[in-house]
Amino acid sequence: MERVPAVEGLFTEEGGAKLLGSKCATCGTVYFPKSASCHSPKCDESKIGDFGFGGKGTLWSYSIQDFPPPPPHKFDKPYEIYALGVVDFPAGVRVMGQMSIDNLEDLKVGSEVELVIEPLYHEDDKEFTSWKFKQL
Amino acid sequence: MQEVKVLGVGLHAFGKTGDAVVGNKPVTELCRKAVVDALKDAGVQWKDIQAVSAASSRFSGGKGWGLNGNDIVEEMGSTGIPVYNLSAGCAAGGNAFNIGYTLVASGQYDMVLVMGGEVMPKGFIQTSGVEEVTDPEFLRQRCVGMPGPSFWSLLARRRMHEYGTTEEQFAQVAVKARKCSVHNPYARFQKAITVEDVLASPYVSNPLRLFEICPVSNGAAATVICSAERAKQFSGNAVTVASSTVATMTFDDGLPRGLAAPPPADATLHSEAKLAVTKAFDQAGIGPEDLSLTELQDNTVYYELAFPEEWGICKPGEAESLVAAGETTPTGKMPINPSGGFVSFGEATTAMGVFQVCEMAWQLRGESGGRQVPNAKVALSQTLGLGGNATAVILKK
Ligand SMILES: [Zn+2]
Repeated sequence: MERVPAVEGLFTEEGGAKLLGSKCATCGTVYFPKSASCHSPKCDESKIGDFGFGGKGTLWSYSIQDFPPPPPHKFDKPYEIYALGVVDFPAGVRVMGQMSIDNLEDLKVGSEVELVIEPLYHEDDKEFTSWKFKQL
Repeated sequence: MQEVKVLGVGLHAFGKTGDAVVGNKPVTELCRKAVVDALKDAGVQWKDIQAVSAASSRFSGGKGWGLNGNDIVEEMGSTGIPVYNLSAGCAAGGNAFNIGYTLVASGQYDMVLVMGGEVMPKGFIQTSGVEEVTDPEFLRQRCVGMPGPSFWSLLARRRMHEYGTTEEQFAQVAVKARKCSVHNPYARFQKAITVEDVLASPYVSNPLRLFEICPVSNGAAATVICSAERAKQFSGNAVTVASSTVATMTFDDGLPRGLAAPPPADATLHSEAKLAVTKAFDQAGIGPEDLSLTELQDNTVYYELAFPEEWGICKPGEAESLVAAGETTPTGKMPINPSGGFVSFGEATTAMGVFQVCEMAWQLRGESGGRQVPNAKVALSQTLGLGGNATAVILKK
C-alpha cells in the first residue's frame, strides 16, 4: 500500500522522523509549520531558515478524544479512541500531535516521548500518515 | 471621556434548536426579544438609540457576512443610525460592548445599543470547512484531530499534574454552577445535580465529562448604554461602567493555539485574558479584593479554577479548596458565575459578552433572586475568543 503524508511538506521520514519547521537565526525562535518570517515582537531582524527537528521530548500534557472528531479530521472506521499530546522539544518548541500508545492508561504527564511518523487513516488504497508522539 | 452607564439589559432565554424555549426561531427573532426587553428595562424607545454595536456571527443571520447589527436595525426599524459589526470569535460580544462603551465615553453618542445573538449548528464547533494547507486550524484538525473539548482537557490534565486536582474537584465546580442556575430562568439547564451525577456523565474528552463542558446553545443578549448625563433623565437602575477593555495574546505565553508554540515565558497561559482583566483593574482603579462577583468564560469547569488564579483573585493552587468550602457560591467570599455560567447556559458564542453584562447589572441592582450575591457593589466579566482575543468589563453600583 502506498504510504503518503496526510498533508505534504510538514514532515519527513527520510533519515528518521523529522518535523519540517523554520528557525530564526537572530532570536532562535522555532516555528512549525514553516514560517516565512519571525513573529517574535522581541526580535530585531527576521532571519528565517529551514529547520528540521525531532527526536525526544517531554509530554507537557495529554487528552483523550473520547468521541469521533468532526471533519476535516479523517480516521479509519470503526472509530478507535485516541490520545492527543503537547510535547516540549529541546529544540525550543512546544508541539501538538496524536499520541502513539497501545494502552491509554499508561499515559503520564512529564514522560519522555519520541517523534514518529505513523498511519492516520486509509483511503483510496493509500495509507495516509501524520506525526505522532510515542511514549517511551 | 464621559462616564458611561448601563441603563437597561435584556436576554432571550437560552436553549437548543427544537426545544420549548428557542424552538426554530431565527437569530433575529431571538435578538429582537432581547433588544425589546433591554429598551423596556432602560425606559427608552428604539428611536432614542443613536448607534448599534453588534457581535458578528459566523453561524447565523448577518446575511452571511456577519452583519448581525444591520439585521436588528432592519428588524426594529431602519432609522439611518451607524452600525458596527465586531468579529472576535467567542469574545465578539465583549468586543461589541467595548466599542459601544468607547462610542459613548468619547462623547460621540449619548445612547448606544450593544447586542449579540446566535443560532448554533449542532455538535462540535467546526472549522470553516475550507481545506487550505496554509490555515493552521485546518492542519490541526486534519493531522491531529482536536476539537475544542480536547483542547480544554489538555489544560485540565496539566492542572491535575501541577496541583493534584481530582475529577471530583472538577465535578464540584459543575455542581456549584447548577446550584446557581436553578435560580436563573434564562439558563438552559436549571436542574440541580450532584457530584455523582457529574461523574456518571460520559467523558467528552477525559478528564472532562459532559456536565463539565458547555454545549452550543441558541440565545441572545442586549444592553442599552448611555452617558451619565443622559441617565439622569431616566428613573432607575443604571449602573456605572468602571472600565471596559480588549486585549490579544502575547507571543510567548506557551498556550499551543495552532500546531506549535514557543515555550512559555511565565506561568500565565491565557495572556490575552490576563491582559484584558489587568487593564480593566488598572483603568477602574479597582483591585481583585474589591470584587463582589466575577462572571468568567467557563467553557469548561477548568477555567473556573484557573482564571481566578491567573488574575490574582486567589492564589495559585488555591481554587479547589475555595470551591470545596463554598467560597465561589453567591454567598461565599469569592463568588464566581452566579448566573450559572456557560456550563449552565451553553454557549451562544457572540451573545456571551453581552449576557455577562446583563447578569452583572441584575446583580448590582439586587434583582438576581435566589442567585443574588448579597450587597453586590463591583462586578468583573471576561471573555476569551479564537485568535487570541479577550475582553473584560468592570461594572459598579
Ligand atoms: Zn527572530
